[in-house]
Amino acid sequence: MSKTKITIAVTGLNNTDNPGPGVPVIRSLKESTEFELRIIGLVYETLEPGIYMEGLCDKIFQIPYPSAGSDELIDRIEEIHRRESFDVLIPNFDAELFSFMKNEDRLLKSGIRTFLPTIKQFQERDKDKLPEYGEKYGIKVPASINLGSQNQISEIKDKFEYPVMVKGKFYDAYTAYNTEQVKESFNKVSSKWGLPVIIQEFVKGTEVNVIALGDGQGNTIAAVPMRKQYITDKGKAWGGITLSDDKMLEITRSLIRQTKWKGGMELELIKTVKGEYYLIEINPRIPAWVYLAVGAGQNIPEALVKLALGQEVAPMETYQSGKMFVRYSYDIIVDLEKFETIAMNGEI
Amino acid sequence: MKITEEVRISDNGFVFNSRTGDSFNVNPTGLELTKLIAQGHDFDTIKSLFLEKYDLDDLTFEKDFYEFCALIKHHQITSQEDPLDFK
Repeated sequence: MSKTKITIAVTGLNNTDNPGPGVPVIRSLKESTEFELRIIGLVYETLEPGIYMEGLCDKIFQIPYPSAGSDELIDRIEEIHRRESFDVLIPNFDAELFSFMKNEDRLLKSGIRTFLPTIKQFQERDKDKLPEYGEKYGIKVPASINLGSQNQISEIKDKFEYPVMVKGKFYDAYTAYNTEQVKESFNKVSSKWGLPVIIQEFVKGTEVNVIALGDGQGNTIAAVPMRKQYITDKGKAWGGITLSDDKMLEITRSLIRQTKWKGGMELELIKTVKGEYYLIEINPRIPAWVYLAVGAGQNIPEALVKLALGQEVAPMETYQSGKMFVRYSYDIIVDLEKFETIAMNGEI
Repeated sequence: MKITEEVRISDNGFVFNSRTGDSFNVNPTGLELTKLIAQGHDFDTIKSLFLEKYDLDDLTFEKDFYEFCALIKHHQITSQEDPLDFK
């Protein structure tokens, strides 16, 4: 069978100790049996390792952070598209998703297809709305309160037993064992991510995750559960193993069915010793450990591209449990000219 | 008592629970016991097999067997509807 030629733009090439999903997404796509790929890498920083990985991208462009303004980002994407004509764009950063979702129609008019959650789907799973989300969709979530100021810290002791989790609206989570530690974490989190700061009940158990893909019609196209085996001090999985857990799959399918989730997602759950599952977070994108799902038999990025192209994709029902990934770090030797080119020209 | 469906036992004593992601190493005796349980043998059969094969008395076998069973149950390698059921 001849392969379809396609050009895909991917962000998140920061394969650092807090890795973006871009590199594993590209690696997954390169294993596609149906597409002959040309990859356009989109980077924010000149030291994103994906820029320097041989054979990963055909072309790389620097793009402005969404904080510089949505229009600037989209203008730059359109400018790159005029030159490179890519078919599908796969954004992989939480912070950029909103800009791309908001401009989905504009991008489509320019001929750039995406497959992202709707703004409603994106916003209702915000961390500070998790209790309402749990209630609406029938999923257990840890109790939480949102703190708008330090004065409210005294309310914690009436509502929770220590320890509690102190979480930023977008990122960062600290365990606090007393009021002093809550204050310290509150300041750290609020200075970086703003308000509110979320105080969440600490649920003791094992952290497990599901990577999934919804087709936007309520169907689960792919779902693979995983348990982190090795966690870095940033809470990132450095090793993991696929699980055979029907309950996790049932939770995922039920959520996708009810929300009609469109695009990739990662459910972060805590499994207690009693075998109960608490949803602690939903990441509205493909996670960095996506290549494990590919290794287990479900090529989620390939399926996402097909959906973005409007093709029918049959749900992938099986995968291999007991497949592991182990991450590693690796030094790439780079000539200064390469760094200079991306730093000076914004492309390479 | 049954070995949980999701548990895989390798001949070298590596036991993997694909539902929890936990893995364990069992020694040759543990492996033999686990396999006998997996084959569906009841307590009396396993006991007579062990007493025949090893220089072992009844009481020691029972003590060690129950201790082993409690351990593998704790790690969700086995499931037991009735805690006193060792069949």
